[in-house]
Amino acid sequence: MAQRNGWLRGTIIRKSGPSTATNTRTNTPQVQNTGTIYGGGVKDPSGRTTEYFSMDDVCPVCKSDRYLNPKLRLLVSACYHKMCESCIDRLYTLGPAPCPMCGKILRKLAFTPQTFEDLGVEKEVAVRRRIAKEFNKRREDFPDLRSYNDYLEMVEDITFNLINDIDVPETEERIAQYRRENAAIIELNQKREEEYARYLQEQEEMERQERELRAQELRRLEEEEREEREKGKQAIIDKLETSDKDAVRLVAKSRLEAQRRASARASSSSGFGMPHSSASLLRSRAAQSTVVPDVPHVPLQDNWYAYDDMYKMRESYHDPVSDAVRRDRDGIMRAGGYMVEQAWERALRFAVAGLEIMPLSDAPSAVAEPMAIDSEGPVDVAMAAA
Amino acid sequence: MDAVEKANAERQRRWAKDQKIGEGTYAVVYKGREIATGRKVAIKKIKVGQFKDGLDMSAIREVKFLRELKHQNVIELLDVFSSKKNLNLVLEFLDTDLELVIKDRSLVFLPADIKSWMAMTFRGLEFCHRNFILHRDLKPNNLLIAADGQLKIADFGLARDFADPGYKMTCQVITRWYRPPELLFGCRYYSTAVDIWSVGCIFAELMLRTPYLPGESDMDQLKTIFRALGTPTEEDWPGHTKLPDYVPVGQFPKTPLRDLFTAASSDCLNLLSKCLIYDPRRRISAKDALNHPYFFAHPYPTHPSKLPKPAKKEENNVPLEEVDGNVEFSGSGPGVKANPPNKLKRKLSSEELGGRPVARRLDFTKS
Repeated sequence: MAQRNGWLRGTIIRKSGPSTATNTRTNTPQVQNTGTIYGGGVKDPSGRTTEYFSMDDVCPVCKSDRYLNPKLRLLVSACYHKMCESCIDRLYTLGPAPCPMCGKILRKLAFTPQTFEDLGVEKEVAVRRRIAKEFNKRREDFPDLRSYNDYLEMVEDITFNLINDIDVPETEERIAQYRRENAAIIELNQKREEEYARYLQEQEEMERQERELRAQELRRLEEEEREEREKGKQAIIDKLETSDKDAVRLVAKSRLEAQRRASARASSSSGFGMPHSSASLLRSRAAQSTVVPDVPHVPLQDNWYAYDDMYKMRESYHDPVSDAVRRDRDGIMRAGGYMVEQAWERALRFAVAGLEIMPLSDAPSAVAEPMAIDSEGPVDVAMAAA
Repeated sequence: MDAVEKANAERQRRWAKDQKIGEGTYAVVYKGREIATGRKVAIKKIKVGQFKDGLDMSAIREVKFLRELKHQNVIELLDVFSSKKNLNLVLEFLDTDLELVIKDRSLVFLPADIKSWMAMTFRGLEFCHRNFILHRDLKPNNLLIAADGQLKIADFGLARDFADPGYKMTCQVITRWYRPPELLFGCRYYSTAVDIWSVGCIFAELMLRTPYLPGESDMDQLKTIFRALGTPTEEDWPGHTKLPDYVPVGQFPKTPLRDLFTAASSDCLNLLSKCLIYDPRRRISAKDALNHPYFFAHPYPTHPSKLPKPAKKEENNVPLEEVDGNVEFSGSGPGVKANPPNKLKRKLSSEELGGRPVARRLDFTKS
């Protein structure tokens, strides 16, 4: 649907750049990572929005649901009402129009993807985001704790008013006033925050590099250990060749040495073993797989079909009983999947099934070898008219 | 006491009945054990006398077929004996069934796990079909799982052998959600393909963790199927309009399976689509399914002993391996994890709110 309606959106879809890849992704009813056409929404640290999605989604405007339209995508308006993409296209393509629920004038581009199940949360997050951008003073900006707390109280008041639509024009006026008064300090704090974000990023990068280095070190150690072991082996062989001491003692001695070396290595390396992350949980299943290895698939675990050459199916048999099925003029039996061939196969199979079974051992004439049926090649069993 | 009674008494003495585990319409199931070895068994006591015609049909069917079938992936009937007026079936004891596994939201399925379960199901089913027996009630509930992880097909109460040509079979079989369209259209001549459809539904259910085609009535079931897979045309399924109970239920477009099963590999979807072909004659057979490339591709099917299993509730000292199997794993391939209902898709962390916590930090110690 989304692709077919692309032309309806006119220029917007083209603006979104490499949209083909993201569009195919959008077609799958899943938690979607999009945000190409409709901006806004709550972004995660990587700058993507994750859309809320549920099987019970119903568009409140056209009542279309997930079952009728698996690609149903609900978007949220500026007044926090949901509707589906096709309703938005229908109502707002020709310009701003009132919201069908509350009558507020809306524009097509102001719809945002939904992140949270509860639209109240969606609204609160948006409001808090907006407020946090401008009310960014810190404790250091105040002479004492009292005034800082008063400031936080005021911010919370403003936020509460906006979220619950109390005295909105007044509150907006308060925000504007605050902005005018504190323009310089807002900008300064914004810069500080950017710096802090950069610092965090650098930190992460450093940690990553450290991890890589550690992994390299471990690999190197392993390699060394292997070489040492090989060397040790060679040494034993050499010694056994040259010296005339007792062989058993020599081997035991060198083994002891190897053990000592290994334990020394273990104690030195245990100091900085791999960092214990949340991966310890994830590893448990992987560890199991070393205990019992998965084996490749074997279709059948017996040789039942090895006996297929005991008989040959013919194209057709003289079988009056199945006449009705074969004639089946209306195709009723055909449509149900009944196959006469299976009935014939059954009869044949049953006829030859016991041929190779050995007689009971306590029978007087116990024969050692199976009946020589397979040496004579396939037996052509003619179907008796049952 | 005549010879028959003597033999029966002897058999009866081999088994001990313990507590009751469950009760069905025609049987009570007890936990039991073999006295000689202590091996755990399940004893199914068939209620006799409630039915006018003697024994219930399904009991007869169960004994008739299970007596003959012996396979790793089919439940084993160990013994049959009578006590007083009742008939007792001694069956293998199996811990859990696939339905409980699917419903246990703490378990994560890897693609290899699903492959392993499917392979075992097809193997068991192939064994039934090669012996010309239709199971006719396949559903996750009837796929039991043994302590060692082996899946076993159980409940042969609706099974029957292949009909002779021209003989009618009943179309009122198979639990509705797993019932193929030809039975919903009232077809009286069908084949092994009915079981394959059920397996296809189970396959999809393993991936979705929820029933794939949950119809509310027989009519609605057809609608649900067509909505999911598109209405069949005469070309898709020749002759289906002539079936006894055929009713047009409306036209639905075909949607690719890929839309719903986004994480599945392509040969996985290929096998699924072959199990859900409308024309029963074209539907894949159990034997062909076992030779499908899906089973040979990487990852290999999980070894049965490692398959996820619901943790036992009665026992506190759960073996470690069982707990380990339930751990979320983000290794090779996409895991299928059931979403807990009504849980927000994402948690809010403080970084998302512009790099600083919004919650107020009020410190009154100094003022």
